[in-house]
Amino acid sequence: MIEFQNVSFAYENGDHAGQLHNINFTIPDGQVVLLCGESGCGKTTLTRLLNGLIPSYYEGRLEGSVFIDGKSIVEKPLYEIASLTGSVFQNPRSQFFAVDTNSELAFGCENLGIAENEIIARMKRTVAELHIETLMDRSIFALSGGEKQKIACASAAMMEPEVFVLDEPSSNLDIKSIRELAEVITLWKNQGKTILIAEHRLSYLMDLADRVLYMKDGQIENDFSIADFRKIPPDEISRMGLRSLYPVTFHNHHTFTAKNKDEIILSDFRFAYAESLVLKVEHLVIPQGSIVGVIGNNGAGKTTFARCLCGLEKKASGAITIKGKTYLRKKRLNQCYMVMQNPSHQLFTEDVLDEVLLSMDGDEEENRPIAEKILSDLNLTPFTERHPMSLSGGQQQRVAVASAVASGREIMIFDEPTSGLDFRHMEEVANVLRKLQKAGKTLFIITHDPELIERCCDYFIFIENGEVSWHGGWNLQNKQQLELFFGPQRKRR
Amino acid sequence: MSWELLSASKKSKGVTLDPRTKLIVLITICFLVLGGEGGGLALVTKPMLTAIPILLLFCFGKKKAALVCVIIYVTCYLGEQFVVPVTTGATNFVLLFLCGFISRVLPGLAMGYYTVRTTTVSELVAAMQRIHLTEKLIIPLSVMFRFFPTVGEEYHAIGDAMRMRGIRFGGKKTVKMLEYRFVPMMICSIKIGEELSAAALTRGLGAPVRRTNICKIGFKALDIVLITFCAVLFILTILRKIGLLGVLA
Amino acid sequence: MNTKTARIGAKDLVTVGIYSAIYLVITCALAFLSLIPIMYPLMTIICPIVGGIPFMLFLTKTKKFGMITIMGILMGLVMLLTGMGYWSLITGVIAGLLADLVWKAGRYSSAKMSIVTNGVFSLWYIGNYMAVFVTREAYFQHAVESYGQAWADTIQTYLPNWMAVVLLIVCFISGLVGGLIGKSLLKKHFKKAGIA
Repeated sequence: MIEFQNVSFAYENGDHAGQLHNINFTIPDGQVVLLCGESGCGKTTLTRLLNGLIPSYYEGRLEGSVFIDGKSIVEKPLYEIASLTGSVFQNPRSQFFAVDTNSELAFGCENLGIAENEIIARMKRTVAELHIETLMDRSIFALSGGEKQKIACASAAMMEPEVFVLDEPSSNLDIKSIRELAEVITLWKNQGKTILIAEHRLSYLMDLADRVLYMKDGQIENDFSIADFRKIPPDEISRMGLRSLYPVTFHNHHTFTAKNKDEIILSDFRFAYAESLVLKVEHLVIPQGSIVGVIGNNGAGKTTFARCLCGLEKKASGAITIKGKTYLRKKRLNQCYMVMQNPSHQLFTEDVLDEVLLSMDGDEEENRPIAEKILSDLNLTPFTERHPMSLSGGQQQRVAVASAVASGREIMIFDEPTSGLDFRHMEEVANVLRKLQKAGKTLFIITHDPELIERCCDYFIFIENGEVSWHGGWNLQNKQQLELFFGPQRKRR
Repeated sequence: MSWELLSASKKSKGVTLDPRTKLIVLITICFLVLGGEGGGLALVTKPMLTAIPILLLFCFGKKKAALVCVIIYVTCYLGEQFVVPVTTGATNFVLLFLCGFISRVLPGLAMGYYTVRTTTVSELVAAMQRIHLTEKLIIPLSVMFRFFPTVGEEYHAIGDAMRMRGIRFGGKKTVKMLEYRFVPMMICSIKIGEELSAAALTRGLGAPVRRTNICKIGFKALDIVLITFCAVLFILTILRKIGLLGVLA
Repeated sequence: MNTKTARIGAKDLVTVGIYSAIYLVITCALAFLSLIPIMYPLMTIICPIVGGIPFMLFLTKTKKFGMITIMGILMGLVMLLTGMGYWSLITGVIAGLLADLVWKAGRYSSAKMSIVTNGVFSLWYIGNYMAVFVTREAYFQHAVESYGQAWADTIQTYLPNWMAVVLLIVCFISGLVGGLIGKSLLKKHFKKAGIA
């Protein structure tokens, strides 16, 4: 049983986001609780209290008490809480400690000094339960995000805790991996574990959760049973700042009407990695000025496609023809721009305005008004003097967009621009994308987010095994294919 | 280039050695080849100690690396024997120094390459625990090896971003290159590091108990042969040094 | 973890590991230049300067005695494992310990002392050059035997003993420069970005 009594918390740095005010609730054994709410509402803070990272790792002012099975965990050192609570975090890249999967699974148990035979026995059991036989004995760096997340779940399970805390575990996953994550949670649920999941993506949990805690501004505003929660109408869910509860059905209201009939032609894209062909696009015609959704499972070659498009892959062949002009790889580096999944990789200067000016040729003083205009178009004016790295992920993304606009790129590629975003921020991204479209840019969006697709894409490329298996605009057949892909069907073992 | 030091896959082909043996050979090479004296006994021990890492590389399936080492070594040896005597002055000095230096450094580097390519982090950690090294060194050492590939990934991602924005060497931006390249890389790496640290702590890192380790390491016949060999070389060298082996010297 | 206690905890150890990795990757990215023989001695200038950037950031997280020493030992261990010799292990411990003392004297916050700390820590690099000097001794002996005293004198002029001291001083001064650069980047970027 988990019990929060009058818990309030404020981070040391005085950050308002993530504070908690007077939290009270109890979770009985074996319950699966979904914790939702907008970004900054305190979800993550709450999970950190449960796995002991607050107050041991993240310091701040804490009041009240947290109990697991009647024992207060606030004063306990982290290594004691480690065997009570198993944690899975958002970023698959940053939560593994070992380099190979076997050592990773053993890591937690080794820390607690559990005997070797016992660890081996547990490992056998966990591997069988989670069906991760094929992942064993491998370098974690060679695994996909979904596979890493499975290893993270397995590592948490190895400690055999009674409570699991998951903090936005699906943020970086594709549809297939989310289904697999749901299977793992189902397993734990059937084992009678108590589970708390903080999450933005809700639809995969609707058949799993027993109860929903809705948080707002550091407080628990509502405590729903899952049945009540599912009855909330979609408009109300959006107003609450939450993502859709159900797999999206595409009714797409906006159809793209090209101002001109120009086309972008991609021809003979080929890229081989370690002697096997991972990308092969022979001829593809895309209406210029559209927002193209690039869809497919992880590992299908979407990212490779994007990198080849930008001209980042030196060994890739292929040409793009825009308005009758053909660009080979090196020239494409100046025509295309990719907004990376982690935009902090592409911001270099000490303030936002400089970042935009860096992309512009010519005299700085002459450029300044243009740069300021770009920033205000993207609602970045209040941050002009901030250091780009001090901004939130969404703001950084817009700074990256601003620098791309400033350098006059015709083609922009977005790598999963809405992963881990709540409803409001997702809509914000969609608005930016539409604004760019109005300005005449052609956009390619690599995404696993059906809600974003529904809102702004008007053309699709579906990539499978490194090839384009279908492409086209909104029509009945494509809609069905999309619904099938994003739909709730279970993967068969 | 690859930053994945110490991440050999577990199913390494051919000869496997205990990490402790590798360390002993490394240290022996450092003492007797890199820093050892020339002439006499060394004329025998040095080629032998050079052969060990090359043979190991060869057996491990790194035939290309082994071949490269052989070619470099032979070139230096021949250079020292035949080219050096016919040159004079500065050329003579540079050549002699270069050949001598490379043939001294090469065995160590070859052994180092073999070590980092054939040892997993877990094996190294297990070995460190066996020799009762303090956790205060084992923990940061394992974090460091875990983190090399991550920093490398960040480094490449930022390199890509710079190419995309047209920030290249040359022009007035050359001085700023270091800043542009390293600052975002450090910020991103450190953020990942903080998350890594938190995740590790929730899994009991730092508990005041003796850590266990499921990684099996142990000495086999080949380990014993190599260690004995190193020990013999050391003893001979010491004996020679104190003058008991005048005949051989 | 608990910043109030003086003992080094798990979190500090992870921090040391992370910064050591960054430090080594950054310096190694440039150390490939040292494959060009002329650049080899120049590394004593380049590495401490560039290494100053992550090191100064590391110092902002270093509030306990011993963390720098551990970093020095790690440097030495990596050099040992990659076949660069065991001298760096010795110089790493000494330079790390001295740097720890300096940083402690600066109460883990003094701006001036942090720059000196980088200078002192940079002395560990000399371990990578010990091989040259030690082999030079062996050469000396060997050269006298086979080429005569004249030749040995030539070596002496090209690579005199005091070069070691010069390199040491160069390391220290470059370390100071690196510290200054690191400090200014700290102000310019890391503080504003909220990670220092």
